[in-house]
Amino acid sequence: MSSELERRLEGLLAELPEPEPEVGERAFAASVAALRPVSPAHRGFRSAVIAVAAMLVLLAIAAGSLAAGGVLRLSFGKATPLPPPSELSLPRGADGIAAIVYGRLSVTTKSGFDLQGLPVTAAALSPHALYVAAGVGNSLVAVAPDGRRAWSHPTDGSIAAIAWAPDGLRIAYVVRSDRRRRAWNLVLHVIWGNGKHDTVIDHNARGATPSWRADSLAFAYVGAGGRPIVYDLAHESRRVISMASARHATRLAYAPSGTELAVQTETLVSVVGRPQTVVWRSVPGTQPLWIGWLGSHLLVDTRSGMFTPKSRARLYSVDPAGVKLVRSVLLPGPLLWVYGQIAAVGSHDGVLAGRLERLRSVLRIRPQPCNPEGCEIAIGKGDVQIR
Amino acid sequence: MRRARRGDRDAAADLFRRYWRDAWRAAFAITGRRALADDVAADGFERAFAALDRFDERRPFGPWLHRIVANRALDILRMERRLSAEELPDTPDVAPVRAADDRSLLTVVADLPLERRVAVVLRYGVGMTPKQIAETLDVPVGTVNSRLARALEQLRESLEVEHVE
Repeated sequence: MSSELERRLEGLLAELPEPEPEVGERAFAASVAALRPVSPAHRGFRSAVIAVAAMLVLLAIAAGSLAAGGVLRLSFGKATPLPPPSELSLPRGADGIAAIVYGRLSVTTKSGFDLQGLPVTAAALSPHALYVAAGVGNSLVAVAPDGRRAWSHPTDGSIAAIAWAPDGLRIAYVVRSDRRRRAWNLVLHVIWGNGKHDTVIDHNARGATPSWRADSLAFAYVGAGGRPIVYDLAHESRRVISMASARHATRLAYAPSGTELAVQTETLVSVVGRPQTVVWRSVPGTQPLWIGWLGSHLLVDTRSGMFTPKSRARLYSVDPAGVKLVRSVLLPGPLLWVYGQIAAVGSHDGVLAGRLERLRSVLRIRPQPCNPEGCEIAIGKGDVQIR
Repeated sequence: MRRARRGDRDAAADLFRRYWRDAWRAAFAITGRRALADDVAADGFERAFAALDRFDERRPFGPWLHRIVANRALDILRMERRLSAEELPDTPDVAPVRAADDRSLLTVVADLPLERRVAVVLRYGVGMTPKQIAETLDVPVGTVNSRLARALEQLRESLEVEHVE
């Protein structure tokens, strides 16, 4: 029996689910940021490296001269397909888009923001895209549209998630703090939008992005044990959402108006009202991929099958009379972001955005290889109107 | 490995791509929860990359990484149990799998005490030998063998009960 059991165990564990791509990309960015390059130990080796480097420089100069004369065509190898953006931001009034691909941030807005290739661990655009807040190394940095660093706040470690309040006055962010001092340490902070008055809210948070309530006076985050917690800034108080269906939350989304909070777990989605009542709960086993609010409607994206990149988005109306399914749409890829009536969907070679039934390409990934300077992406300007 | 140690981003990406999925699955199998597995695997990689300068290149990277991941998972689960023992059961979510028999097997694996569950995951999921598990968990090989034997016994009993029911 034991050998049969052991065989079954080996087979069973091989069938465990796969990690989400966006989780891998975030982890990759944080891991690369943690690399501490080792210099070669021996002087002889170092001399050899310098000699080889000098030869390469001479060769490069010669090749450059030939290339300039049209004799030689330079190539950096075969293009490798890039993954779709793992994080996307389309805030209120931004009229633009921010995306992170393999740990590199690209922002383009119609008002002139054009930032390409900044290595970050997390990022969020402020309302109207006046600034972008990003985790760069061990700092939270706000960058203005002209690329100028508006302010920088040192942190205890790399930043896992950032959320800008709808009024733009505060930022909630989660830091992976220095493990040498604490055993477990995703620390939730709130800082003013001008980079001052940083406050630690919770030493035992999870890495999910906090979600601000529409009035900017409170936000929800995932705390110890995966429990959603609502933090009230005015009263400096916290309220744990303790319903069983909201435990082990993976994503939170406050409605753009009102106080309904959508809570996603690995198996279901709940809408929690005020006071703590579950307004609605999806059928268990749905395997939600993403939740968000498309206007006043709740959008729940789920897998459409095991072997297809497509997803099934279900749109629900949420009002005091109850929650009703309004529409179900098959999408070409997973949902990445929704704002107003605009949804953004990841596809094999970029991002599609628009109304659910009229998605079109807004972000194209150029067929350029990833090189030590990073992966190049291009954002198609003028294709998206967000107000 | 050598290039990654010198800070080469492409080499680090190769290393990450090769080991990320297994590290995450090991974290998921131990913690039983996707969100926690995300944190544990990411944290494990970050720690491994931060310590690459101290890593002995002659040794394989995989077992070293799994050792970090397994220990992080154990630390977090133990801490979480201490923090919220009064309200959170130590029962992981059950992952969706294919056959009905396998679902019940996964359920009983999830019900194993933490130390036995970790031994089972490292032995059958990651493919470590009892000696490697002993090094990873910093316990004697005999303890690992004992945990594995008791885990298999418990699994067998649980499965028999389920069949009777």
